[in-house]
Order: sequence, then structure tokens, then C-alpha cells
Amino acid sequence: MVALGTIYFWVCALTAVAGALSVVVSKNPIRGAMGLLLLILSVAGLFLALHAQFLAAIQLIVYAGAIVVLFLFVIMLLGPAASTPNDRRGLFARAFGGGLAALCGAAAIALVASAGLAAKHPFPLADVDPSFGGVDAFGSALFADALVPFEVSGALLMVAVVGALAVARGRQGVASLTRSEREVARAATPEPDTAGGAGVYSHEIHAHEEHSS
Amino acid sequence: MNIALALSPLLVVALGALLLMLAEAFSPRQGGLALGAATVLFVGAAVAGGVWMYGIERLPEAASLAPWLLLDRFGLFFDMLLCLGGGLAALLAGGYLVEHGIERGEFYVLILFATLGAMILASSGDAVTLFLGLETMSLGAYAMTAFRRASPRAAEGALKYFLLGSFAAAILIYGFALLYGATGHTDLAGIGATAATARTPLLVVGAVLVIVGVAFKVSAVPFHAWTPDAYEGAPTPATTFMAVAVKAGAFALLLRVLLIALGDASWTSWAAGWPPVVATLAVLTMTVANLIAGRQESVKRMLAYSSIAHAGYALVGVTALMRDPTQAGASVLFYLLSYTVSTAGAFGALILCGSHGREAVSYEDLSGLGRRHPAAALAFSLFLLSLAGIPPTAGFFGKWFVFKAAIDGGLYWLAILGFVNSVIGAYYYLRVMVYMYMREPAAGAPVALPMRSGYVTAALLVSALFVLALGLVPTRAIEVAVRAATLGAG
Repeated sequence: MVALGTIYFWVCALTAVAGALSVVVSKNPIRGAMGLLLLILSVAGLFLALHAQFLAAIQLIVYAGAIVVLFLFVIMLLGPAASTPNDRRGLFARAFGGGLAALCGAAAIALVASAGLAAKHPFPLADVDPSFGGVDAFGSALFADALVPFEVSGALLMVAVVGALAVARGRQGVASLTRSEREVARAATPEPDTAGGAGVYSHEIHAHEEHSS
Repeated sequence: MNIALALSPLLVVALGALLLMLAEAFSPRQGGLALGAATVLFVGAAVAGGVWMYGIERLPEAASLAPWLLLDRFGLFFDMLLCLGGGLAALLAGGYLVEHGIERGEFYVLILFATLGAMILASSGDAVTLFLGLETMSLGAYAMTAFRRASPRAAEGALKYFLLGSFAAAILIYGFALLYGATGHTDLAGIGATAATARTPLLVVGAVLVIVGVAFKVSAVPFHAWTPDAYEGAPTPATTFMAVAVKAGAFALLLRVLLIALGDASWTSWAAGWPPVVATLAVLTMTVANLIAGRQESVKRMLAYSSIAHAGYALVGVTALMRDPTQAGASVLFYLLSYTVSTAGAFGALILCGSHGREAVSYEDLSGLGRRHPAAALAFSLFLLSLAGIPPTAGFFGKWFVFKAAIDGGLYWLAILGFVNSVIGAYYYLRVMVYMYMREPAAGAPVALPMRSGYVTAALLVSALFVLALGLVPTRAIEVAVRAATLGAG
């Protein structure tokens, strides 16, 4: 009688391998992205079986929710023209790289398997709290022990967003440049600084009211 | 409730920044944000002063945030100082950005958040909050530098500042990672307790990397290369903010690290500790910056080098921490206060001298200003005298206390070098005054036309008040600084 957990593991693991293979093999980039989504979902399932609920949820939210969507956006933006036709250049390099990757993967699997066959528990785990890695343990670490840094990171993210916005909008300000600055922006020929040597554009702003006295 | 009272300076600035963003988003007309930002920051300073008066020791709940945030008088002093500097920068921005037609609400929000980051940095007692505060402050400053992105000089300065600042942050965090590896602690007190007992090579390398990272942030020579370009390319209010608040925040970080994490007797000894390193930085910073500043043709760039040189004078006081942490720490705090108001005033006066897309930058721009616009020239002169350290201004007592701390600590040569450097420094400050009062512009040459702005005038009045008050009656301020430094050492 095979335990239900073992069936669950094999389903998730084989789906993950199938998803990973489809990412590598498929010619259609959309299909590749869908394969990646499948891989991420099944890895989240594996995390769940290991009592790492929080990691599973984060895997879904961050990878499936954000990164795959980002990939799809980029693929859609680039359009079908972006996919390269099937050329056979660099076949040797590709075969070599693929072979090397396969070899390394096989060696890693062999290493773990041999260790696993040699001992019942090759990597003994310390007695961890059963709640370790769970949402409650993570939540109490984040919202009780380390509440202050957590809140401060909010300020950091906020200033990053506002700063990015300020810099991105700053591009419109060409009209606000002074006349001499606009000349420099056009010519953009660096001239050596007279003193200090660090600055390139040292002399373009001068004060500049035509004012006869 | 008491915890909210203890945190109130931080909360005022954070909530003020969020409310200001909402006000900007829903307000039908532009403008008015400068007043809001300055009000929030001055209220923040006032609230910090209020908590100081009430006594942070009477709020035992404040200790519950340790070691993330150390809410003590040292932190409160820096809260007041940073809010004052940020508020002055916001007022200057209100005049400058409008006059030059580049006003956008983000600038004020960035000032508020960067000030908040600096306040967190000044209060933090753990590498995690310390790094988060440092990055909040630095990201705001990077974005402010790049505010006029279409200007090639601003883009150049901002890119240099961003890259070198990121390297500095990486070096700092690497140093803290090594300290964590050597001691098993991320909180400064824990690092200090372990560092006092055993000294491993890992610990020394970590401490050196941390000091290098902070030296970048206070722009000490030889880690100053980004400063002149970033200061010159940034809009002048952003330059003011960087010279004032960012530098003060970095000094708070330096003092906390040296006093708490490396404050043990074995680390503060001249033979086997950090004092020779900091003393070398101080001498290099003062001398190199003063020599280069004298050769500048742009007043804004000269003030940038001047701010590097002032970091050197403050480092003299930091070196003296080895003998008497309280007195030397108080001298550094007082120095930072006098430097803040003098520098904000000097940049403010430079802003005042330009108008409508034409900034006053070079010495020639200012020639004859004393005759044409006596009030602007008088204000500029007052702040330059204070930067040069001539009585009866704040700068004189700032230098006096720092050099006195060095002499009391037995560092006579350091005090003499500092004194010689301030004489060299007087040359280029007085040169501005020579141009303003004794030169006339060449016939037909362009001259600066001062702007009219209530915001800039208000900022100059506040700065001038502080410069004169600290220069005439420094006793109250030095008492406050001593109390702040006393608890900072504990």
C-alpha cells in the first residue's frame, strides 16, 4: 500500500519536471511561460508537503502572480516577431552547454542519492518546533520580534517609489533648463575641469542678466 | 500610549509625509506644498524638543523598541537637528523650485522621507534598522539630485552619487556582515560586548569596512570624489539637504558605531584602536578639501568643498572621543548644529542671489552685490563668517569646542592642524566677500539679480537667528549637547 503522501509527492515532482522540460523545449514562448507556471505551482505543492506553508504561499504570490505575468507582458509587448526562426547556428555550443548542464545535474542527483542510500537519515535534522516555517511562526517573527524594521522597510519602499517617479518625470523639464544648459545638452562635449578634475560640466551655468550698470 | 509619545518625532514626520502626498494628489491647484513640508518638519523638531523637555527617561516603554531603535536624548538631539535642516531645505526649495520653474510635489515628499530615514538612522541601535534608515535617507537624496534629469550636469552628478553611494552602502553592509559573523550579533551593543573580549581578524576587517562605508557617507577624503559633482549638479535646495541632513545623519551613525560597537577601551586606545584611522581621515579631509576649495571658480562648488572640509573639523572632535566621550561627543554635536545653520544659510543666500532660470554660481556673478543689494550681501556675509569661524557667530564656538576637545584629549598636533586649516579656509570665504563689496562687475558683464521669495527670506531669517544666538550665548546649546552625548555613550 503506497502512502497518500508518496503519491502526492510523485504527482507534484513529475509535474514539476514536465513543466521544466516544456519551458526548455517548447518553441512557442507563451507555451514556455505556461510551462514555467506549471513548474512553480508544483514546486509550491512540494513546499506545502514539507510544512512550509508560508514559502508555498509566497511562491504562488511572487512567482506565479508577478513574475510569470511580467514574462507574459514582455512577450506580448515584443509580439510574435520577436521569436527567432529556427536556425542551426551555434549547434555545437548549445549541445555542449546542454550536455554540461545534464552532467552536472546527474552528478548532483547521484551525490544526494548515494548519500541517501548509505544512511537512513543522511542529513539529520535538529528537533525543530513543529510550527517552524509555518505562517504563524513567520508572522510572529515579522510582526512581533522585528516589527520596527518591518515598518521602516515601508518607508524605504515608499521613498524608492516616489524617487523613481520624481526622476522619471524630471525628463520633461527640458524647457526649464537655462539657455546655456540647453546648449550643453545639445553639444554634450565634455570639457576638462579647471580645478579638482572631477567635474565635467563646470562652467555652463553662469549668472546672466544682461544688465548694464 | 507612552510608546507613541516616545516615537512622536518620527511619527509626526512619517504621517506628515503621507498626508502631504494625499494633499498633493487631491489638491486642485499646485503649490503650497513647501509650506506644508516645512511646517511638518518644524513641528517634528518642536515635538522632539517637547519630548526632550518631558524627559525620555520617564517613558520606560521606549526601551521596548531596543535594540532596533534606541530612543534616547542622543536620538532626540539629532531629531531636532535633522528636522531643522530638512525644514530649512524645504523652505529654500519653496523659493528655488518655483523661481526656476521646476516645482513638482515629489521634491517635498522626498525631503520628508529622507529626513525620516536620517532620523531612523540616528536612533537605530541595530545594523538592520541602521541600514534601512541609511538607504531611506540616501534614496531620497539620490532622487533629489537627479530631479532635473534633462540637465547633463545633474544627470552626471546623480549617477556618480548613486553609484558611489551604492558601493558605500555595500561596503558598510559587508562590514556589518563580517561583524555579525565574528560576534553573532547584529545589534551594536551585542557587537560591542563581544568585541571587548576577543579581537579576531574578522572583527578588525569588519570594523574597517564599516568605518570606510561611513566615511563615504560623510564624504571624508579620500572617499569624497562624488561630493563636488553631486553637490554642484543637484538643485541647490537638494544640495543644502545633502550638506546638512545627510551629513548629520552619517555622523550620528559614526558616533553610535564608535561609541557603542567599538567603544571598549581596547578599541579606543591610540596604539590598537580606531583613533589613528579617524585622525588620518580628519587631517586628509581638512587639508585636501581646503586646498582644492581655494581654487574653485564656482561658489557652489566652493561650498561643496567647504562642506567636505567641515566634515574634517567634525572628525577632529570624533577622534577626541578616545579620551572623553561626553565632552568630545558634545563638541561634535554642537559643531553639527552650528554647521547646519551656517551651511543652510550660505546655500540659501546663494539661492537668493539668482533669479528666474539664472543662478548665481561664479564669483564674478556676485561682484558688486554689496552695493546693489545690500541685504542679500549682508546675509551672505554673516553665513560666510560663521563658516570661516569668526566670532560672534555659531561657527566660531563650533570650532572652539571641537579644538578644545582635541587639546583636552592630548591631541595638540591635531588641534594645531585644524587651526591652520581654518585660517586657510578663511581665504576663500572672505574672497566671496571681497567680490561682493570691493569689486564691480565688468562693463556689460552679466550680473546676478536676486529673487524675491518669502520662503527663502524666512529660511535665511531662521538660520541667521540660530547663527547669532549660538554665537552670542552658546552655553544653553552646549549644555543640551552634553546631555545628549552623555546618554549616547551609555
